[in-house]
Amino acid sequence: MPIAYCLLSLACTFSPMHLRTTPWSLALWLLAALLVLFVAGPLLRLLLQASPASLGTALRDPELIASIWLTILTATSATALSVLLGIPLAYLLARVPFPGRRIIAGIVELPVVVPHPVAGIALLLFLGRQSPIGQGLGALGLEFVNRVPGIVAGMLFVSAPIVVSAAREAFHSVDPKLERVARTLGDTGWKAFRHVTLPLAGRGILAGAVLAWARSVSEFGSIVILTYNPKVASILIYDRFTLFGLPAAVPAAVVLLLIALAVFTLVQLLAPGRVEHR
Amino acid sequence: MIRLEEVRVRLGGFVLEDVSLAVPAGGYGLIIGPTGSGKTTLLEAIAGHEPLERGRIILRDQNVTRASPESRRVGFVYQHYHLFPHLTVEENIGYGLRHATVAARAERVAELADSLGLIPLLPRSVRGLSGGEQQRIALARALAPRPTILLLDEPFAAVDPATRRVLRRELRTLHEREGITTLQVTHDFEDAMRLGDVVAVLADGRIAQAGTPESVFRYPNSAFVAEFIGTGTVLRGTVERSGPGARFAARFRSNGLDLEVVAEREGAAYAVIRPADLLVSRTITQAPAPRNRFDATVTRVERGSAVALVHLDAGGTALLAAVMTTTAEELELAPGERVAVAIKATAIHLI
Repeated sequence: MPIAYCLLSLACTFSPMHLRTTPWSLALWLLAALLVLFVAGPLLRLLLQASPASLGTALRDPELIASIWLTILTATSATALSVLLGIPLAYLLARVPFPGRRIIAGIVELPVVVPHPVAGIALLLFLGRQSPIGQGLGALGLEFVNRVPGIVAGMLFVSAPIVVSAAREAFHSVDPKLERVARTLGDTGWKAFRHVTLPLAGRGILAGAVLAWARSVSEFGSIVILTYNPKVASILIYDRFTLFGLPAAVPAAVVLLLIALAVFTLVQLLAPGRVEHR
Repeated sequence: MIRLEEVRVRLGGFVLEDVSLAVPAGGYGLIIGPTGSGKTTLLEAIAGHEPLERGRIILRDQNVTRASPESRRVGFVYQHYHLFPHLTVEENIGYGLRHATVAARAERVAELADSLGLIPLLPRSVRGLSGGEQQRIALARALAPRPTILLLDEPFAAVDPATRRVLRRELRTLHEREGITTLQVTHDFEDAMRLGDVVAVLADGRIAQAGTPESVFRYPNSAFVAEFIGTGTVLRGTVERSGPGARFAARFRSNGLDLEVVAEREGAAYAVIRPADLLVSRTITQAPAPRNRFDATVTRVERGSAVALVHLDAGGTALLAAVMTTTAEELELAPGERVAVAIKATAIHLI
């Protein structure tokens, strides 16, 4: 009960002026505080678990460093591909009415609801050596199973919907008439997009890309099936946990968490339309 | 020159049908019509933003029906300005001049900013500017590349009446100075009367009437046009011949009103009576004596700075008269007062 008492005190102390202390406002603050505690608690506990000495050792661990660089490289590649392919799709979905638009939008969102190991199996069947596409790409020198491109494919699969969704929302927020004005001022369709729509939607797209990057960094389920080796950070941490136990996994986990926190901070700074309602 | 030939545009379920219109080079055309009549769609079709299903668009003697918007060299100003929010005022005005030299661009921007009173705003962001300021910037931006055709979509709709008067004057001055063929969309016939050489009334995607503002105002061809442009009172009734000839003396009866008119056909008709043609007095003494004289009761008086609109009830028929405000005061016109009303037979326009 001490925790409940603390939360209740917090609710009474910090409830805003316009939210008078009513049973409704108390319940509101209490439930909100519980969730915040549930999310922040374990992460804080993890950060406190690693001693500075063990963190120093972890940062000198060549396997971990290589794994983190591999994660950053593949996540950046997957994000770049998401942006390159996702922006045209998002623009079409936001601006051009075409038959089957809703179906296409639904298909792109599917990875969000597909369990990630299932995504990994689907990618294995689609890009593996047994599939015609996998064989065709293999003939061109592009292998996916237990290869770096497999990591990128897994990350792309789970992060692309984030970019498409963010970009579509960003394009929605830009009035199409601005492009029309630009065209009457001499711009081609491409130039109007580049000089008007893209700069105005850029902030939203960038925030989506950063989120997609973070999602790629944290991906495990699909990659573990498609490319166990070389190991990205999430797989390496899992590997150490299963082989050597918690003490071996914690420092690596903390390093990855710190990277994720840095990205999270960046997203918060870049997020469009952050309005303080007073 | 702008010439539209039997233009048809489909936009979802809405169809702009059989629109033909011509604005001479250097002329000022106006399209007026109620909301949803297709005014903006028509302008966007001329600018190349909406494809035509049928017909032709001729600009400067060139068929541009299938030309891209950027190749039509048309200036476009939207009702809600649509300034580029990520650019400064100066960058907005100079947007269409990015291919010009820096010096030429700066000179043209300064020239337009000077004539529209925008010099102090040039380095500022366009966010937070007043409606009038934004409208001036949008106008300067459209004029900067020196288009020979300017399309204006309700440019005064979102500004206050005082700014509207100033903008209207500035627009007319710019139009004359730059010699641009202009087509403006409005729902305000006042704009048409003050600015236009040609006016077209659009209703449900079709042109209901086109001509000079004066001719459309004096001789509306339908009850819709008369009512929409606010010509005055539109009465529904019947015409009965009382004299010989192709253009004959007749009686027009509507509700309790029996008026002498000059008609060209008998039967059901609408009579349009302009407010200024109704003579209101305490006793009818005007000369030459109008044929139609009747009593009416004042129901409401709307006093303007120069003209007062007097709402009348003549035996159950509502009429609208316009008198000088000073006259309204001299006659002590007020609701409930009985007045004498007169109108010449030739002043009643029959449709």
